[in-house]
Amino acid sequence: MRIVIAEDDALLREGLALLLRAEGLDVVATAGDPDAFLEAVDAQRPDVAIVDVRMPPTHTDEGIVAAVEARRRHPDLAVLVLSAYVEQAFATSLLARGSARLGYLLKERVGRVEEFLVALHRVAEGGTAIDPEVVAQLLTRSRPDERLRRLTPRERDVLALMAEGLGNAAIAERLVVSDGAVHKHIRSIFAKLDLAPTDRTDRRVAAVLHYLEGGAARRS
Amino acid sequence: MQRGTHDPSGRTADAPARPASAPTTPPAPAPVPASARSSGSASPASASASVSARARLVLDSLEHLVSGFGTGILALVALLWLAVTALACLVGVGLLLLPSALHAVRAVADRERARLSRWGPEVIGPPPLPSGLRAAVTDRAVRREVAWVAVHGVLGTFLGVVGLTLPLNAAHDLSFPLWWSLVPESAATAAAGWWTVRDWPGALLVLPMGAGWLAVILLGMPALARLQAWPGRRLLRPGAGTDLVLRVAELTATRAAALDAHATELRRIERSLHDGTQNRLVAVTVLIGAARRALARDPADAVAALDRAQDAAEQALAELRAVVRGILPPVLADRSLPDALTALAADCPVPCEIDADVPGRCAASVEATAYFVVAEALTNVARHSGARRAVVTVRRRDDRLCLTVRDDGRGGAREAGGSGGSGGSGGSGLTGIRRRTEAHDGTMELASPTGGPTTLEVTLPCGS
Repeated sequence: MRIVIAEDDALLREGLALLLRAEGLDVVATAGDPDAFLEAVDAQRPDVAIVDVRMPPTHTDEGIVAAVEARRRHPDLAVLVLSAYVEQAFATSLLARGSARLGYLLKERVGRVEEFLVALHRVAEGGTAIDPEVVAQLLTRSRPDERLRRLTPRERDVLALMAEGLGNAAIAERLVVSDGAVHKHIRSIFAKLDLAPTDRTDRRVAAVLHYLEGGAARRS
Repeated sequence: MQRGTHDPSGRTADAPARPASAPTTPPAPAPVPASARSSGSASPASASASVSARARLVLDSLEHLVSGFGTGILALVALLWLAVTALACLVGVGLLLLPSALHAVRAVADRERARLSRWGPEVIGPPPLPSGLRAAVTDRAVRREVAWVAVHGVLGTFLGVVGLTLPLNAAHDLSFPLWWSLVPESAATAAAGWWTVRDWPGALLVLPMGAGWLAVILLGMPALARLQAWPGRRLLRPGAGTDLVLRVAELTATRAAALDAHATELRRIERSLHDGTQNRLVAVTVLIGAARRALARDPADAVAALDRAQDAAEQALAELRAVVRGILPPVLADRSLPDALTALAADCPVPCEIDADVPGRCAASVEATAYFVVAEALTNVARHSGARRAVVTVRRRDDRLCLTVRDDGRGGAREAGGSGGSGGSGGSGLTGIRRRTEAHDGTMELASPTGGPTTLEVTLPCGS
C-alpha cells in the first residue's frame, strides 16, 4: 500500500511515517502544505492519502479543500482525513460526493494503532471509516426523530457501527454476536427507518449518514 | 416626660419634617430640627446625640471648605494662565498657549468633579477635550469650565478663606482671657482686630464675641460649604442630553473594542493550544502506539519511538508554558511590572534596556496590557527592525502609565489595514497593540520614518 502523508506539524508527520513504515507500509512521500501534497499525489500516484484538516496558510480547512481537489484529479485515490476535533461541516462536505474510499478520524485514534490500521485498510480497499465521535454527535443531534426512537438499544449500537463504516463481520466481532444476529438487526433497522436494504457497505454508510444528517437538518 | 421615641439619627419621631433646604448634602447627618434643639423637655441622650450630629456636620463642612479652598487656588492659577493666554493672543502668540491653558482648566475641573463626587451626587465629566482648537474653544463643556474657573477661583477661594478664618476667630476669642495679659498690648486685640483690650472687663467682653463666632460656625458653616460647591455642581455637570449620549456612545465603542480584543485573545490562545500543544500530545500518543507495536517485534525500535515520544511530551509542556505566559505572565502575578519587563528584555534577541520607574502597582489588567504591548513591540523590533538596541521606558504620570519603546532600526513600520503597509513591518502586531490599548481607554502613537528610528508611545489609565 503506497501512502502520501500531508501534515504541517513536522513531529507528527515524522511520527506517522515512522509508525506506518514500521508496520511495513510504503510511505512514498510526506508534505507540509497543500501544494506540496497535490504535487506528491500527482507524482507518486499513491493508493491512500492521509491528510490533516488544518494546514497553512490560514489553518482552517485547507486540508479538506486539498483532499477534495486530489479526489477530483484522481477519483480512485483513497483519502483518510485526520482532524484535531470533530467539525461536522468538514465531514459533511467531504462525504457530499459519496463515502467510498473515504475516512474521517480524530487524530488521537492513530495512537490505537490496531484500530487505526484496520480503518486505513478499510478505506484503501474501498470502504469508509467515520470517527465514532462524529457518529455519536449525529445520533445525539437527530434524537428528536420519531423513527430513531423505535430502535432497540442493541439496534442503535449496530446503527452506530454501520455509520462508522464497519462491515457485518466486524460489527459481529465488535458486539460479540453471530453474523446472523447482525443481519437480523440490520434488516430491522432499515425497515424501521424506511431505508432500502443493501449489502454494499459504502452505500449502506452513505444511506445511514444521509439519514442521520437529514434528521439533524429536520430538527434545526 | 419624654416626647416621642428616637430614631438612630437623633431626630424625634414627632418632630416636624425636615425642611427641604439641603438637597445637595445627602451623606451628611440630617440637620437637627429646631424643635429638638430648643425643647427643654428633650431627653439628655437626644440632646447629646443631636449636638454630636451637628458637630460632625460642621466638621464635614469645614473639611469641604478647606478642600474647596485647594481647588479654588488651582482654579485661580488656571484663571491667571487663561488671562496670560488672552493677553498673549493680543500680541499674536496666544494660540500657542491656548491648548495648555485648556488642559489646565480641564485638569482643575476634573479635580473639582472628583471632590464633589466624594460627598454628593456624582458629577460626570464630559468626553475628552476635542482635538482641534476651534472645536475645543466652541465646545459647550469647555466654555462652562472656563466660567467655573472664573467663579470658583474668586468665590470659592474667598469662601475657603472665610471658612478657615471663622474657627480661628472663635478659638482666638474663646481662649482670649487665658493669654491676653501675656502678649504685648498691640497684640491683645479681639479677633479681626476690632478693638484693643486693656483690662479684665474688656478681656471678658471678648468671650461673648467668641460665642458669637461659634454660633455663626454652627449655623452658617454647612451653608457656606454648599455655596462654595454650588458653581461646580451647576457648571461642571454635563449639559442636558447630548453630552451623555456621546459619552455612552464612546463607552459602548471602547467596550466593544475590549470585547473584540478579548475575542482575538481567546482565538490566539485557542490557536496556540490547538496547533501547538494538542499536536504535540497527538504525536505522543502516536509514538507510544508505535512503541507498543515495536515492543512485540524489536525492543530496540521501541526505545527510539519512546525517545521521540518523550521529546514530544517535553515540547508540549514548553508550549503550554508559553501559552500560559501569554495569558498572564506568572512573573507579573508574583512580582512587579518592571521585573516582568526585565524578563522580557532578557528573552529578546536584540539587546534591550528597561528603564522602569513605577511606584506602586496598577490594576492587573493594565499591567497585563502593558506587558503585552512591550512583548509585542519587542517581537516587532526583533523580527522587522534590524535594530542593534532597543530602550523601553516606563513612567507613571499622575494616573496614567506611559510606555515608550524606541529602537535604532530601519523604521518604516506601518499598521496593517492602513494604505500599503510596507512589507515585513509587523502591521498586525501594531494593530493588536492599538486594539488592546484603546480597549483600556489608552492612547498609542507610532513614529517610524523610513530609515528609523522607530518610537512607539502608549499611555494607559492606571485604574488605581
